[in-house]
Amino acid sequence: MTISTGPPITAKTPAAEAPPKGNRLWAWLIFLMGALYFMLPLAATFYWSLRAEKGRFGFEAYRRLFADANFMPAFSESIVNAIAAIFLSLLIIVPTAYWVRLRMPRLRPVVEFITLLPFVIPAVVLVFGIIRLYSRPPLLLTATYDSSRVLLVCVYAALSFPYMFRSVDNGLRAIDVRALTEAAQSLGANWITILREVIFPNLRVATLSGALLTFAIVLGELTIALYMAQKTLGPYMANLTRSKVYEPSAMAIVAFAITWVAMGMIAYISRERKQP
Amino acid sequence: MSGGFLSLEGVRKEFGGFVAVDRFNLEVAQGEFVSFLGPSGCGKTTTLRIVAGFEQPTSGAIRLAGKDVTSTKPNERNIGMVFQSYALFPNMTVGRNVGFGLKVRRTPKDEIEARVHEMLDLIQMRHLEKRYPYQLSGGQQQRVALARALAIHPQVLLLDEPLSALDAKIRVQLRAEIRAIQRKLGITAIYVTHDQEEALSISDRIVVMYEGRIEQVGSPFEIYNFPTTAFVASFVGTLNTTAAEVVDQATHLLQIDGVQLQAAEGLDDRQKGDKVTIAIRPERLNFVSQERKANILDCTVENITFLGSVVRVQVSVGSNRFYMDTFNNPFLELPKIGDKDQVTCSREAVLVLRQ
Amino acid sequence: MSKSSLYPDSRFADPAEGGAKRSPQLHIGNWLGVLPFFVFSGLFLIAPTLILAYRSFEGLNGGQTLDNYRLLTSPAVINSYGMSIRISLTTAILGGLFGFLIAWAVSLGGLPRPFRTTSTTFSGVASNFAGVPLAAAFVFTLGRVGVVTALFEVFGVNLYKSGFSLYSFTGLTLVYLFFQIPLMVLVMLPALDGLKRDWLEAAENLGATPGQYWRHVALPVLMPSILGTMILLFGNSFGAHATAYALTGGLFPLATLLIGQQISGDVLHNPGLGYAVAMGMVIIMAFSILIYSILQRRSERWLG
Repeated sequence: MTISTGPPITAKTPAAEAPPKGNRLWAWLIFLMGALYFMLPLAATFYWSLRAEKGRFGFEAYRRLFADANFMPAFSESIVNAIAAIFLSLLIIVPTAYWVRLRMPRLRPVVEFITLLPFVIPAVVLVFGIIRLYSRPPLLLTATYDSSRVLLVCVYAALSFPYMFRSVDNGLRAIDVRALTEAAQSLGANWITILREVIFPNLRVATLSGALLTFAIVLGELTIALYMAQKTLGPYMANLTRSKVYEPSAMAIVAFAITWVAMGMIAYISRERKQP
Repeated sequence: MSGGFLSLEGVRKEFGGFVAVDRFNLEVAQGEFVSFLGPSGCGKTTTLRIVAGFEQPTSGAIRLAGKDVTSTKPNERNIGMVFQSYALFPNMTVGRNVGFGLKVRRTPKDEIEARVHEMLDLIQMRHLEKRYPYQLSGGQQQRVALARALAIHPQVLLLDEPLSALDAKIRVQLRAEIRAIQRKLGITAIYVTHDQEEALSISDRIVVMYEGRIEQVGSPFEIYNFPTTAFVASFVGTLNTTAAEVVDQATHLLQIDGVQLQAAEGLDDRQKGDKVTIAIRPERLNFVSQERKANILDCTVENITFLGSVVRVQVSVGSNRFYMDTFNNPFLELPKIGDKDQVTCSREAVLVLRQ
Repeated sequence: MSKSSLYPDSRFADPAEGGAKRSPQLHIGNWLGVLPFFVFSGLFLIAPTLILAYRSFEGLNGGQTLDNYRLLTSPAVINSYGMSIRISLTTAILGGLFGFLIAWAVSLGGLPRPFRTTSTTFSGVASNFAGVPLAAAFVFTLGRVGVVTALFEVFGVNLYKSGFSLYSFTGLTLVYLFFQIPLMVLVMLPALDGLKRDWLEAAENLGATPGQYWRHVALPVLMPSILGTMILLFGNSFGAHATAYALTGGLFPLATLLIGQQISGDVLHNPGLGYAVAMGMVIIMAFSILIYSILQRRSERWLG
């Protein structure tokens, strides 16, 4: 079984003996304490979300949440943003990763460094710079809601670079891109054909993993959307916490469920891979 | 009570339903160099790890210098082990790696230093004392691993395919070094390998294993020249094997494809009409034009391969294919492919195998 | 024989042969492939940061000055930065410690296999759960009317009267650990996998107890990874905004919240200072990522 976010676990010879009993006891203790810490907030939230109707357990909070006039628009807006960002990111990262690996390996450190910039520049600082840079001519992009939205999607794509690049790069390494390319060339294919027929199809797992991660991140993103006055899920949720009592708990559970599904899918598609 | 310095008695190891080692009995004399030889999965490494203490046998016992150590913990057995992957501690220099076992025993610092230098001199790497493992080549790392295992004055030295990860030339050089060091120190050693040439060249005795069981134990000369089972015969060296039928048990006469063949022995418990497997080493066949021996067979030359010091001729004898090895000789006159010729071998060359 | 000799006029000569041998036309063609990436990053990552850097040197009356950076020591800024550093250090150390212990428990501790896969997936979820949902979840747990708060009251302990508050240093630390610990787990699991079993066996074979093995071999080998990841945790906490904002409404002394306020309005009464605060943050983050990379490289060398 392999996990998506880390390198695959290599098979080992069958463990000779299990760790000594004393160790195992400590391991259980540590795990249970950890489970307690992580489960409590989720359990408490779930409990709250069922208590919207006085005196009984029900899904009233969820009903109200989905019925809220502002919820679906915000939710769908976030989803569209996420999908757009994913496509944009793939369109830029896959050819770049491919190119760097095949044609310009010396550029690799530079490219890797740039993809790590989102870790160096916190979101709040980035949005600060984005607003200052694009709120004045000649780069006036914050004038209208829609142009701001395009800007937002572009920023999200840039923020997904670390995950996308690492995912795609690992995928390229695993399929020996050079050999595949040379085989395709000897058979007469040109660049576009190679990318479309050979590279992209073989990167399905890698790109899906990167895409799912990006999806999870974009969906609930708050900081940038907030300061760019966008009506996405993040600011909606923040608003909800201030105005309503029970709906936020339902929303938190829904957010958690969606993230869990996304991560689970990543784990699943990575697991499915059969090593030759 | 055992007679050997190290003895394995009735060792058996099961993993779930799978039997990895079965009925393993061996006595190793002090100072002896024994190899466990066999294909992957034959149980040789498992047996070694049982001796080291990393696996517990399902049944059976290990005795060292008379003492039963079957249930002793691996860190209390004072047995040195060299791993296939070297297993050098990456965070320590060569010197500190070699001295680790002594440090753990709380040996005084100056004694550790003296012993480390002694070991490094033994492997001729004194000048690399301050280097880290990642700065060394594979061969150097393995020498350090050897020195580290020997530093603790072990009673037995275990080596688990130590040379598999190295280049061919280094392997040949290093195995000779290992053997020389072992002889010099007079230490008992068990060496696991799947390379039969390796085992043949450096062992006092070889234990050939297959599917968890001992097939044959003997000196390299015995194993090669007098294999007792079909597996040993085919695993060690190249071998021509074929089915034959007993014609006359008393005179050890056999026939293959209607052609008669004379063996020297091995048919004692057979009867006329029995089917047996016979084997002939390639180097014991030659063309009739070179020397005439007891058995003569008609053949057709199929292929000639030049292997360096040996020339291997592939011939078909009836429906069988045999290989024939002769020493290379620039003035050798070899037949052409498709030629019809005759091969010959002595009676003793025909080995009758136990199934 | 290099691959290029098979295709004499191939455009795909082995790059290892050196760029100088390629014709100028090829050279430009190569750069075209990576151009979109550089342009995009330049527009949306580099340029915004550069403009902040540039403006941070602007004085109140125009012209270039370092005054803004000197003003970083003013009380408002020091307060926020100080709190950010305190929380980041605490969550880095605690997150590092507990994350390591959980990673150990789930990989080498002898727990059943499914525990590890669940923990990895959950860690991925939890480290992405940050922001509004996380803040909300903790409010429901330890807020003034939270479930656990109520539970304590059942036993006669009034958390908030005793001085505890979710909207404080302690509270934020508690909340931050929810995504810090999983991040540590995610990085440490592969590192722990890198501990070759041979090392443990070699150490035991040489006479060491498991404890001695950990002390002399395993922990030293893991140390670059552990330290590096803790520094990563520090940076992660330092730059976190959404969770703190959702929890405190932006009314808490924290460097990121200060910057957020600055975006909405000039609370520092000096735009240049606002930019300097932002750049100060970038410098600290860059520093932490740098140290992390150095330590990662060291650990990769040992753990493969």
